[in-house]
Amino acid sequence: MMNKLIGRVLATERNPTTMDEFHFWTDSDQKLHAFDIVKVQHIDGSYTFGVIENISHITDAQSFLTNFISSDFGDVTIDEPTLRVGMNYAKAKVSYNTRNLYTPVHNNARVYLASAEEISMALGLKQIQNPLVCGFLKMYEGTPDEVTLPVYLNSKFILGPEGAHLNISGISGLAAKTSYAMFLMKAIQDQYLSNNMSDSVAFVIFNVKGRDLMAIDRPNDFLTEGPEERAKTYTEYQALGLSTEPFKYVKYYIPYASSASAKQSTFLTKDDIENYLHAGQLKKIKYIYSDDKENIEMMFSGIDDPAQTMESIISKIIDNDDRDFGGLSTWSEFMDTVAEKARKGSAGDKGDISVLSWRKFKRVVRKAIQDDMFANAVNPSKSECRLADELKQIKKNEVHVIDIAKLPEDKQAFVFGDVVRTIYNLKLGEYDSESGVNPPSRIVIFIDELNKYASKDVPKSSPILREILDVTERGRSLGVVLFAAEQFRSAIHDRVTGNCSTHAYGRTNTIETATRDYSSLPTTYKNMLTRLEQGDYIIQNPIFRSLLKIRFPKPIYKQFK
Amino acid sequence: MSDVSDGTHNREKIISILAEVTGGKSYKAHKYGLDYSDRPSIDYGNSEVVWRRRAETTLHKSYIDLTSLSRKLSQRDDQILSYFLDGSRRVFKVDDIAYPQSGGRNVIYPVIAGQIGVGCCRRVGKRVFPVKLKQEFVLSMPDIANADGKPGFWPATAKKLSNCSELKRLGIEFSNILPYRTSKNVENKFEDRAIARVQDRMILREKELVAELVREGKLNQDNYLVKDGSLEYRPTKEDRSDRKRYQTFKNNYNWVIGAAKNFNPEVCEDINGKPNPGFIADLPCYHRTPVAEYENPMLGDIKFAVWYVRLRDKKDTRTPFDGVLKIEKILVTEEENEYGIDSELVDTLSAYLINERNPVCYGSDMRWANLIYPIHLTETYVKSRYLSSESFLQLF
Repeated sequence: MMNKLIGRVLATERNPTTMDEFHFWTDSDQKLHAFDIVKVQHIDGSYTFGVIENISHITDAQSFLTNFISSDFGDVTIDEPTLRVGMNYAKAKVSYNTRNLYTPVHNNARVYLASAEEISMALGLKQIQNPLVCGFLKMYEGTPDEVTLPVYLNSKFILGPEGAHLNISGISGLAAKTSYAMFLMKAIQDQYLSNNMSDSVAFVIFNVKGRDLMAIDRPNDFLTEGPEERAKTYTEYQALGLSTEPFKYVKYYIPYASSASAKQSTFLTKDDIENYLHAGQLKKIKYIYSDDKENIEMMFSGIDDPAQTMESIISKIIDNDDRDFGGLSTWSEFMDTVAEKARKGSAGDKGDISVLSWRKFKRVVRKAIQDDMFANAVNPSKSECRLADELKQIKKNEVHVIDIAKLPEDKQAFVFGDVVRTIYNLKLGEYDSESGVNPPSRIVIFIDELNKYASKDVPKSSPILREILDVTERGRSLGVVLFAAEQFRSAIHDRVTGNCSTHAYGRTNTIETATRDYSSLPTTYKNMLTRLEQGDYIIQNPIFRSLLKIRFPKPIYKQFK
Repeated sequence: MSDVSDGTHNREKIISILAEVTGGKSYKAHKYGLDYSDRPSIDYGNSEVVWRRRAETTLHKSYIDLTSLSRKLSQRDDQILSYFLDGSRRVFKVDDIAYPQSGGRNVIYPVIAGQIGVGCCRRVGKRVFPVKLKQEFVLSMPDIANADGKPGFWPATAKKLSNCSELKRLGIEFSNILPYRTSKNVENKFEDRAIARVQDRMILREKELVAELVREGKLNQDNYLVKDGSLEYRPTKEDRSDRKRYQTFKNNYNWVIGAAKNFNPEVCEDINGKPNPGFIADLPCYHRTPVAEYENPMLGDIKFAVWYVRLRDKKDTRTPFDGVLKIEKILVTEEENEYGIDSELVDTLSAYLINERNPVCYGSDMRWANLIYPIHLTETYVKSRYLSSESFLQLF
């Protein structure tokens, strides 16, 4: 098929073509979009491909005044019998040359639309090893030449060991961050289920809002969208080489709540819980003092501890040989001992830790463990469990969904910190001696609202931040992969974002794009970020030659509206 | 390194060939452009043309208001002004050449070179597209450079120039050399005389292009041609030779109007036959004057209808004559010659021209108030095809 000629390259003294960009003119009515690829005839029979960054329209009017005068000095009803001469010119970034010739393209060189094949080549989407679909892109949208292409990542560059971690940013609701992360995980699970992969993967997902992720193994009923939407979505999944089934091998964990208490620890309905229990898919999480006291520090992740007094108290508590805390076995005993320490006139611990510090500690801990979840014992016959014990047993292809939506923030942090630490230690091989421990080679942890745990404002001493930094910095080789989402990427600790190999930018606002994090993006792209539609993402990955604007289909698992 | 010979230093320069052929001595003088930027001006010349008598079917005594008609027409989506024609030239002084005169003294004469371009654009659905372009390069030399006074000398010299390796290589041809008169009884400077020759040549090419369009039958009652400037029309000998053909040719001029930015307001006479420039200066906005008829003895038996139209309010322009177009149309039929041109047609054409007031080329052309946009585009198109001044001067 012949490429469609759409314009010619412009090179002037003021706007020269360079090794990495060029301008070309095109008809004012030619529909082009940012991120569209064009093909330019170049020397030695080669072709240079460029990604459109911006399109400008100019006319021969020298100034605004010229146009104003052209309407009889401001008569808004005047129509002109001749259209003012105008043209569009587009700015394009060079992405690729077929013969590796990065000599600037020549003036008046022919500019064509590219074919699907050429687009994949230009974007570096061809010959991707370990292809993992991450969405699809549309070129020349709204024209007869529209091209739709699936976009593949090298899975080794998102799950490790070459590169790992994914960061998704975007405004809540408009960016569909969770949906995108779920889409990617669905694609990963599909790939590992259907292909003979040399490694294996499992997922740990946190449900932080309502019942959103509490039915990911149930199909989407498309009740509100209707059957047409279902057909369209299914077609899109099939076109991307994915199954139209929801997640498989899913287990749900909800915080334990006593049947006596009126307070519920989950947004799941009683029926849902019954069903899941019946299917053996659901367990209730309990924290037992003797096993989980090491995690007490997680309750202090948001608390400033400049003198490290909290840290000293915690290390005292977890010291099994400690005079006061060594032999304790229940939360209530523990609280009593803490209360004792905090009592006025108490000697403290050889004066190391002041009574005031104990009181602060007591305040934080008492509030934190006031929950049925902090119990004395686990009763496996009632589907109760210790989360860490469950996670140690995680098997390949499994998806563990942990519901922390209804927990207060401090307890959310506690659970999250516990999970990250357990997975990290699991992959470090700390539990290898225990029976039944056979973790998959890669474990993906997905958390929304990363800003709660790894924002720039989190105290440096935060144990959760420390865990997250460990994961992002060393997880790549260990096989712990963090998929994280947040509203504002600029709020996230630089060492966390800096270690993510893949970044997905969803719709955001101008305050956010004005921050330093976005300074490397051209202005047009920044503005585009503020207009992206739901389901549109701009993706950055080391194997792509440039940023890509991609889309992904609607969720295939049950949606709660 | 024999290849270098036709490279940089042994290039045959046009001036040396000219000096050799004409037996003059080149001074390799400074080369520069003689064009002045286009600015609005009043053309005071050519007072042979005189407003004689009313030349339209309705006998108007005063200005005719076309405000509502032009508004009505602008709301309709049709258009009868379809073709636009403009010519331009660019002149340069390229050398001084000395020729021996009586008494053994040498007199120095300027050599003038010019680029001429005449183009025509067509408007289709509010967009303007180029349809025709004529371009040529000419030289103007003192007449005494033709030492023998033989008539074939200048064309032969032009041909010789065009055959030199330098021009061949560049694919450039000089179509002719136009001698200017060196006699002392004319007051103009030599440069001006030479420029006048180039200008004449351009006008000739314009006429040819108009005639071509007319002959090709592209023009009709729905497709008028608007020519920039005065409508100086002169049929060729062939046109005149066949009576029937001559009439057809004249008929086709029905669809041509000239729109001049510059005109001599003195030429306008009032009803009492006295010159009255104020009559045009006071022409209200979106009005036209009554149509007058004039004959130009230089142009033979052709009668012209002339009227003025104001496109812009006086308060918006620099002088009262800015914003006024002088419109010319040839009286073609016997009827027209006898009773004048149909007033309704004059109104319609004027109203369409009034609607051409927008868009303007304010900022890019000083004459914006009198320039209609499609003509401006045609002019821009023609000028865009010129060889750049630097390249052109390098030929000499």
